[in-house]
Formats: sequence, structure tokens, C-alpha cells
Amino acid sequence: MFSKPTTEQLLAGIAEQLRTTVMAEIQTEPTKILLQQIDQILMGCSRRAAHEIAFVHEEALRVATLTGKDLGIPASLHLDDVVAWYQRVSTALSDEVEAAFASGDQARIDAARAALDARSAVEMQILGALDLVGRG
Amino acid sequence: MHNVNEMPARVATFLAKAEPSWKNVTVDSYEVMTGGYSRLLARAEVSHSLGHETLVLRGDPPKDRQLIETSRQQEYELLLVVADHGVRTPRALHFDPTGADLGTATIVLEYSKCTSFVPWFNAGGSLDGLHLRLAEAIASYQAIPLESLPACMERPASWEAYMTKRIDAWRQASHNHVESLPIFHYVAEWLDAHRPPAAPLVLRHGDFQSSNVMISAEGQFEMIDWELAGIGDPREDMGYFKAVAQAMPPDLLDDTRIEEFCARYRELTGMTELQINPATVAYFLILGVVGTVEQLMQGGAKWATGENHLFTSVFNMSSVLFGQSMWLAAASQLAEPMKQIAAAARGGK
Repeated sequence: MFSKPTTEQLLAGIAEQLRTTVMAEIQTEPTKILLQQIDQILMGCSRRAAHEIAFVHEEALRVATLTGKDLGIPASLHLDDVVAWYQRVSTALSDEVEAAFASGDQARIDAARAALDARSAVEMQILGALDLVGRG
Repeated sequence: MHNVNEMPARVATFLAKAEPSWKNVTVDSYEVMTGGYSRLLARAEVSHSLGHETLVLRGDPPKDRQLIETSRQQEYELLLVVADHGVRTPRALHFDPTGADLGTATIVLEYSKCTSFVPWFNAGGSLDGLHLRLAEAIASYQAIPLESLPACMERPASWEAYMTKRIDAWRQASHNHVESLPIFHYVAEWLDAHRPPAAPLVLRHGDFQSSNVMISAEGQFEMIDWELAGIGDPREDMGYFKAVAQAMPPDLLDDTRIEEFCARYRELTGMTELQINPATVAYFLILGVVGTVEQLMQGGAKWATGENHLFTSVFNMSSVLFGQSMWLAAASQLAEPMKQIAAAARGGK
């Protein structure tokens, strides 16, 4: 396969073409709004494509350390297998959050919270800026 | 409803039936409106023997293109009640419950002469005093007696039971999603551990945000889009307004205005300072959004499984991602104030 341009570059390039070339040809307001939404999602996909599998593995390591559980590894690096495994990681983190609050142990709650803050930071990195186009 | 070739004739036929005193009903223009994500909107200019009307049609999209599922029947009945109690909102004039006439379940509303608040603000509108008008707007619909609300609206058994169900909705939203959502579980546990003092149950708008209010020439707010309304805590709409304002300014409840807002609201409703204060409003910045969040996540999940083909469902999951970082930050800031409020409330008993 050709690995370059990367998926990240291709998606960002498509978004740029839509923004700079296609948008000017759009006549109706609902379609303009749709195109602006597509632009934001495509840029998020671009950032996600570059790091998605690494992000998942990094979070799994944090959750395994937090819970002391062996979360295993994905069956392969194909995305379907990685996502199926990540579901187990997320469930383990959700369970740990509830167990931490049930225990009343503030240090345990704080540790779970730190894992959630790291998760949220990755989500915000993928999201970039949010523009609620079409509202109002 | 977005078929601009077919709709003028359908609207004319419908109105001729709904308004028997109107003769020679003609739809002079029919155009699709933007501004909302969830329902189809269109504006019709109508002439008839007794004059001219500007009407707004608000209808359901096809099932596989619905961002959220709500009842037009309930919304129509509620609009009648709300307008009858003098709340500023465009009056509902007609209803096609089945779509037999207009192609989809549709409410026909009067066209508001007010201006959408967000574009008005972006064009340089002054915010002076509007936080007080906002308090008055919220108090106006919350004053409607619960027994006057449509029978189809769910009546919680108590404030405590309502809060328990509302908080648990965060956990259920995770359980019902296509993947586990750990931050939702944290939010539920945190909200449960930091409950505010109880408050009377009232009508809540359910989607009370700057894009769902309009402003009159006299500087008064008019509310639109009641599809997510229910009976709940009076602080939910305040928190929800503040939550959406983080992503879409202006925030009329920011640090410079929130104390005056709370004071005006307390003056109008008789609620106490322990019930209504910046911290309890901010608590509902988190809790108040759960109804919309669960709907948006359901839309995203259905898109992922191929049951829904509305691209906006995917786009709106970005709002939830943004929201998660906001809820975590708010929980950190509120933990201590909420403990102090709870202690003061216990001391007052």
C-alpha cells in the first residue's frame, strides 16, 4: 500500500477542498451548514486517524494500572478488534469509577478521576474547536 | 415538509379545512427555515379572504433522519397551556397529528415578530439587564401550576425520586450506548454525592439555551422549541442555559451576572439563597443536560448501527465530547461549595 500521503493528510486535504472550493458553489443554507459540520467531523477524523490505535493502547495501560486487572490485548491491530478490546477497557474504567465512589476512599476516587481527565484530554485533542454551526 | 413544490397546495388545503371562515386560501410563498437541529421547519406566507398570515410549520423528519424522538402531541398541548398562562412564546394555531394533511406530524405556529437572540447578539445587541429578563422568563413558565400541564406529561412522585431518576439517567445513557462511557458513570456518582437542597417541582423547558430564545423590540425574551419539556427541578433550565453558553456565547449567567440573576429569580419565586445560588445553578450545568445528552447519544448510537442516517447525529456527539470536559471541570470547582451548602442546609433544619 502507499502509506503517504497518510490518512490524516488525506482527510485534512478533503476537508480543505470542501471548505475552499465546494462551499462557494453551495446555494442553500441547510447544505452550507451540513458542509460546515462535515468539515469539523473530517478534521476530527484526520486527527483521530493519526493516533487512534495508540490512544487506545495508552489508555488501556492506564486503566490496567489503576484497576490492577489484566485487560489483555486486542486480537489484532485491525480496528474492529481494537475497538472490541477497547470496549472492555472502557467498561473496566466505568466499573472502577463506581467501585471507587462506593468505597468512599477519596484517594481511589481521585485516581479514577485522573484516568478520566486523561481520557477527556485525548477527546478534546481529537475534537479541536467546536463550532455549533446552524444553531440560533 | 421540505418539498417546496408540493407543500404550498397541501398547506392551503389544510388551512381551508382548519379555518372554515377563510375563503380563497393561497400560499404565496413557502420556504424551508434553518435554526433547529431536531425538527423540520418552514415558513409560509398565506393570503385569504380575511387577510394575510405568516405561519411557521414545525414537523417531524422521517424516522431514520430524526436527531431525537419526541412527541408532537405533547408539544402541541403544552404550547396551548403555556400561551394561555401568558408566557411569551409563539402561539400554536393548528395541529396535524398524523401527517395526513401535511405529510408528517406538524404543528402550525404563529410567526414570531421577535429576533433570534444569538444573531441579535452577534450583530451587536447589548446584554445590559438581560440576565434579569432571563430570570423573569424562566420564572414565568415555572409559575404554571402543575395540574394545568398536559395529562400526558410524567408527574414525578417527589423531588427526591425525581433527582434519583435523573442522576441514574447518566448511568443508563452509558449502559444503553454502543460502548461504555466512564465519564458518565463518574458524573452520576459525583452528582449523587453532592445533591443540592430540595426545590419545588416545576415545568422545565428542557432545551433552554440561547438559540431557543428570541428577543422582542422591548428587550423581553420569548421561548421556542418546547419538545423536551417536562416536570422537574427549577434549576435545570438555568444550568442547561449556562452549559450551552460555554460552547455558544453569550453566557448571561457568567460570574459578573449570576448573583443578580439569582437574586431576581429568588425575588420572583420566594425560593431561598440555599436553593438558588451560583453553585446550585452550576450543579445543574451538569445534571440539567442529561435529557438532551441521552437523546444525542441514542442518535449517535443509531447512526453507528445503521438505524439512523442523519449526519447531524454524528455532529452532535461532538457537543457531548465538549460537554464531558466541561462537566469534569465543573465537578472539581463545585465539590467544596456544594459540601458547604449541604452542611448549611442540614444546620438550618
